[in-house]
Amino acid sequence: MEVNISTAEQILTTDGVPLKVSLRKTERRNKIRAFLLVFPLLLFIIVTFIVPIGDMLLRSVDDSQINEVYGKTFEEYIKWDKEKDQLPPEAVYKALFEDIAYGEKIKIGRAITRMNYSKSGWKSLIKKTRRQINKIVKSEEFPTSYKDWLIEINEDWADPTFWYSMSQMLNERTSIYYWNAIDRTFDQDSNVVMQPENRRLYVATWIKTFKVSVYVTFFCLILGFPVAHLLANLPLRYSNLLMIFVLLPFWTSLLVRTTAWIVMLQQNGVINGVLVWLGILSDEGRIQMVYNQTGTIIAMTQILLPFMVLPLYSVMKVIPKSHMRAAQNLGAKPANAFRRVYLPQTVPGMSAGGLLVFVLAIGYFITPELVGGKDGQLIGHWIAYHLKTTLNWGLCAALGGILLGIMLVLYWLYNKIVGIDNIKLG
Amino acid sequence: MSKLLKAFLFASFIAFPYTASADVTVASWGGAYTESQIKAYVDTYDAGTVKFENYNGGLGEIRAQVESGSVIWDVVDVLPDEAITGCDEGLFEDISAEYANFTPAPDGTGMIEDMANSGVTNLSDCCAPQIFWTYVVFYDPDAFSGEKPSKIADFFDTTKFPGKRGVHTWANGFIQMALVADGVAPDAVYIVLKDQTGAVDRAFAKMDTIKDDIVHWSAGSKPLELVKSGEVVMSIAYNGRVGAANLSEGENFEYIWEGQLIEQEYICLVSGSPNRDEALAWMIHASSPASQAEQAKYITYGPMRASGIDIIKAGEPWFHTGIDVMGHMPNTPELLKISVMGDPEWWSDNGAEIDERYGAWMGN
Repeated sequence: MEVNISTAEQILTTDGVPLKVSLRKTERRNKIRAFLLVFPLLLFIIVTFIVPIGDMLLRSVDDSQINEVYGKTFEEYIKWDKEKDQLPPEAVYKALFEDIAYGEKIKIGRAITRMNYSKSGWKSLIKKTRRQINKIVKSEEFPTSYKDWLIEINEDWADPTFWYSMSQMLNERTSIYYWNAIDRTFDQDSNVVMQPENRRLYVATWIKTFKVSVYVTFFCLILGFPVAHLLANLPLRYSNLLMIFVLLPFWTSLLVRTTAWIVMLQQNGVINGVLVWLGILSDEGRIQMVYNQTGTIIAMTQILLPFMVLPLYSVMKVIPKSHMRAAQNLGAKPANAFRRVYLPQTVPGMSAGGLLVFVLAIGYFITPELVGGKDGQLIGHWIAYHLKTTLNWGLCAALGGILLGIMLVLYWLYNKIVGIDNIKLG
Repeated sequence: MSKLLKAFLFASFIAFPYTASADVTVASWGGAYTESQIKAYVDTYDAGTVKFENYNGGLGEIRAQVESGSVIWDVVDVLPDEAITGCDEGLFEDISAEYANFTPAPDGTGMIEDMANSGVTNLSDCCAPQIFWTYVVFYDPDAFSGEKPSKIADFFDTTKFPGKRGVHTWANGFIQMALVADGVAPDAVYIVLKDQTGAVDRAFAKMDTIKDDIVHWSAGSKPLELVKSGEVVMSIAYNGRVGAANLSEGENFEYIWEGQLIEQEYICLVSGSPNRDEALAWMIHASSPASQAEQAKYITYGPMRASGIDIIKAGEPWFHTGIDVMGHMPNTPELLKISVMGDPEWWSDNGAEIDERYGAWMGN
């Protein structure tokens, strides 16, 4: 029997509505119901995930606050010919006087926190100057030359380096924080230049963060693979018991485990003590294994190990044992059979574990903070520092933005090479 | 929109719900320090209820609260440079008009002058005084069989006193000690830092001499463990931690007072505090000479009010266990002569740059 829907004669349902309309109606109702079901989750993700990340990314390029306070000054500033005059012209000094004299106290206060990132000393310079300016405004005896007057009350106003640093603040939408996050800054003509040598910190820290994360991922794989294999192949009652050994540390407080590692690794700690007792080390030759990068790598590896073992285990569990036997039956040596038959089937687990461990490691904070000591602090340390201490949230956001960018690039690369469909968490 | 956004942000920042109450909420550092504050300032206060919450320092959380308009802390216990920055940024309320109402010294000296007598002249307009605390070097005398270290130069001399040194992972305290060890008079350290170009380089050069012998710590309890376990032979620490170990735990640590950095600690009124008037009344109570002296019964941080020291002296043995406490107070007139008095204004100008440089120095 042939049904031709396109004919003028429409198929009607029992209550006389065309079937097409009726179907569409039910479908729409279903769609709405499905949407309403996921709506709370969607809202949750928007509120707790998308909005904060969006706000963070906005902060990393936002310099509008200072431009609001020093609008007039900046307008005059860009007219200053730095080749010709060593110091800015009178108009800049006058605009600065007015911006400070008639600006809101709190807005000026916030702006100086930001100005101080570009050059140390802005804070007290502006504050001292503001006190003097307020006196002038009250007495209404305005100076004839603002430039001379400002230099007279504070000689720093004759220091061109303060004025040069202003070139980093001129744009409401700025890239300066991203440049700062990789040890670059703007010179007086807004060209990107390297930071002074002893302030170069972040490139080295990024490299260190990467290095530590790669090491940790690698060691987790090396250590986790045999464990997962054992777990997957033992009879259930033994493997369940062993699983507890993997999970128990996983459930133990992070701080407890970190502290335990300090006890183990320190110079008068368990490991050094045993090595000295065995005569392998001399008493003076105790190894420094904690409060440095080594300590960070050891402690992080142990803490992140379950994130490697668990996905590996779940993947290995479902690889039929008959595959290895079949390969050996067909003449492959055990090593060869393992390499060509077993290993490829564990790739989804290895990549899931690897990605998980790497992503966690790269943003790790508390463990490196406690055992990192001299050279084991990662980028998270500096994000926390600027968030809490300097209030340089622009730089925080830029560091976080770069971290996010790295993550996305890794994800993209991973998808290209392994394919995201191959990931398997269990 | 922006306000809504900030409120959302804040909601994700602070996980617990806030219920309105008339209790004054004070955010402080926790541990033995907060315990001493509760004993000295809350147990002695009957004009209202005050509760303490712990925080990790820094102005980050306070800025998030004020910016989002949902302030849950009334008073915060902060470092001196944060007192200044927080006041500039409008995170704290200007209470300078109220200073006249603060409790004067027993002899009638006003609070501002009483503080000036301890050497503090740069009070921010938003805060009331708490205590002096210091970065001080200490050691276990049993770790040295012969001569024992006695001056700050010994901390930087690994030939005379071999062994590792404990130092924190940030710069404040250490660079001032390095300058004193390099021959700068303690009271001239900040003059040198301000006026001489290359003073910071000089400090770093001195720090270089012991760079390979440093174990870096980041939590305040760590230096005591390091010295006790023999991991290091001497360490920089917060003086109150050493005092607590000596007075309450029976340890016998020695201090090297020379070159110690004296820092101030303030309580500040958060802008938009929900219980402003009650909070202010409690701040007046907590910054009176008698209250400040009371705190020294439980921890060896020195009162910032000069008259507080006189009360302690007259009341010895003052510590709650019945031991003399003056030998552990960091700001006696004798010690002030050999100590560096912190300059929070200079530090809030230059601290970030020096910390970054210190981070690079440590890691390479």
